Amino acid sequence: MCTERGNSRRNFLKIVGSLGAAAAASPLYRAFAGPGAGTDEFFVFIHAQGGWDVTLGLDPRNEKTGLIVPATTKNIDYASLTRWENDSAALDGDEYSFRIVQPAGSKIPFGPAIGDLANHYDRLTVVNGLAVNTVSHPDGTVFAATGRHLAGGRVAATSIDTMMANEFGAEQLFPAVSIRYPSSFVGQTLDRRAMPLLVDSIGSMGKSLVRSTRYELPEDRAAVTSMLTDEANDLAARAADPSAWKGFGLQFASLQKMIGGPVQALLDTNKLKLAQPSFDYAAQYMGQFAPNAAFAIEAMKQNLVRSVAFAMGSFDTHGADYTDQGQKQQEMFNVIARLIEALDATPHPTKTGSKLSEHTHIVVVSEFCRTPQVNLGGGRDHYPNGTSLIISPRFKGNTVFGASDTEQLLPKATRAFTDGDRSIGPPDVLATFLSAFGVDPRKYMRDGEPVPEMLK
Amino acid sequence: MKRNFLAILLTAAGLTLGSGQIGCNHGGDSSSPPDPNAIPSVPVGALPGHDSLAQDDSHKEGPRLLPAEVYIRMYLDLFGGLSPLDAEAAARGTDGTLFDHWSDYLASLGLPDYEKDIARVGQTNAIMVATFERLGLALCDRAVERDLRAKTGSKKVVFAFDLTPAEPTDKEFADRFDVLHRTFLGYPAVMAETPRISRFLKIYRDTVARHVALKGGTSSFTPTEAGWAAVCHGLVRHPELHTY
Repeated sequence: MCTERGNSRRNFLKIVGSLGAAAAASPLYRAFAGPGAGTDEFFVFIHAQGGWDVTLGLDPRNEKTGLIVPATTKNIDYASLTRWENDSAALDGDEYSFRIVQPAGSKIPFGPAIGDLANHYDRLTVVNGLAVNTVSHPDGTVFAATGRHLAGGRVAATSIDTMMANEFGAEQLFPAVSIRYPSSFVGQTLDRRAMPLLVDSIGSMGKSLVRSTRYELPEDRAAVTSMLTDEANDLAARAADPSAWKGFGLQFASLQKMIGGPVQALLDTNKLKLAQPSFDYAAQYMGQFAPNAAFAIEAMKQNLVRSVAFAMGSFDTHGADYTDQGQKQQEMFNVIARLIEALDATPHPTKTGSKLSEHTHIVVVSEFCRTPQVNLGGGRDHYPNGTSLIISPRFKGNTVFGASDTEQLLPKATRAFTDGDRSIGPPDVLATFLSAFGVDPRKYMRDGEPVPEMLK
Repeated sequence: MKRNFLAILLTAAGLTLGSGQIGCNHGGDSSSPPDPNAIPSVPVGALPGHDSLAQDDSHKEGPRLLPAEVYIRMYLDLFGGLSPLDAEAAARGTDGTLFDHWSDYLASLGLPDYEKDIARVGQTNAIMVATFERLGLALCDRAVERDLRAKTGSKKVVFAFDLTPAEPTDKEFADRFDVLHRTFLGYPAVMAETPRISRFLKIYRDTVARHVALKGGTSSFTPTEAGWAAVCHGLVRHPELHTY
């Protein structure tokens, strides 16, 4: 308890002052600051929301061993899977599991839900047997994105997209765009401009920039904006601390550029679909998320973002809906395949002669995986094992790191870490990702140890 | 308005203090004599058995922006103390070109969206600024329709004055602008540190001239209405409105 009134009052005034300072330092005033040094790297983070069944995709199992009951022609809608081929021998009577998908040259075995992403095996770094140590959606989601479990119900650390935006993207117009991704911003040492822009959809962002022409003319709004810029600059000239007023001046000038300019087109779902026609926007489950990938490409092409993070799902199939798990994964992996191909076809905005794919780094995670057994409802429940997928020019492609055991699908000890032999965990994956860009993981993370073997 | 906003700011800070989380100096006032019974502070790692325990070093407190609700409440108060649903209906009007639904802008305004599990935004950002501008423009335009087209003597909320029969003289404009300036920024326009009246007069005159040149073209506003709407836009977007 506080008992000293004078001290309370001083602190009270300090807080009032700090609230003002927070306002002045916030992106409201600084989002449109002039161009800085920045970087040439871009980041895409995808959360497979709900907990994916890795036995169908990145950690495939087609044998009945121990606890494991694989996907079969009886428990999966296999007809929708383009890579499904019945295994050579029947599993049980007329029930067949699948044949492992492994394109020529691939060291990575895939399940039948991998879709077109198998074509890009040489770019993929698969991390299997992740010790997620949770079967709770909120906890696993936050753990995968931050490397820290929830502290009670509270997010205790900054998410990876915010970390990268803070390191490399504060000068971008949109340092971190987060579309239903579990982004978090924790701590006072981060640049406030790196605060992720949390939105429900790209379209909802676009609505904010729509201006009716029914009442006033664009010239009217431009004149008001120009006058307000003058007001802000005059107030800045008279102020003891002009930063907030100067920020307003920059903001007014730049907001005008956003409205009606290329940024507005970037936030229009229909225009995104036209700009990136290769995605299957009509796909049954994941078509609705494909505009997020299209947005990522277009925003990176214009050098307006540093990080785009979005969720796709839901893969939470506890019951009869498990039959669709394969199709859902296939549609998601196809989105990622199209994303890779589009990045290959897109020139880098600042590095002449380079492709975007040479400087774009993609991380796909889920909160956990699904049980090796099929439950009485025909579905699979939550299971404390995980898989991450990294597609980055700085990571070794065509590589599987870590493993789950053959009978229980639980994480196996992978290597000797400084705290002993153990399986790799989400903090290690995030720490390795940070280290790939020369960032000291300890700047952001309490746990996690870089695994240099995963890097080129 | 300025006083109201400061009161909100102070209340917010007061509530934070009242929670007992911030502002306590457990070491006592430096002017007080040391308490002989006080237990000295010891790092947790020095306590037996605590040296190997993980510590939660995550951030617990700190300066933060006022919640988006504070700004929204300010907008609702400015435009007649409307409820959020009434404000939505007023802003949408019959054509829906100026505003949609609050639910379309929850995340953009920084509010949590529990249905979609989107957390509250702790800092403002570019889209939030653009969204508040869209809301402000909508409320201004609807206020023009309501107040400036109302019969003389009827209750007016924002444009609480009668229009002159002809285009206002500079003095007549200044008198009416002062009403708006006090409403939005909380003090007389003549006390502004910038050439505010002349700047807004120019905005008004230029806007009227543009709309006269349209000759009833594409705008639903008369030139006079468009002029006053532009003045309202300038005030609802004014930096002083957002910082006081």
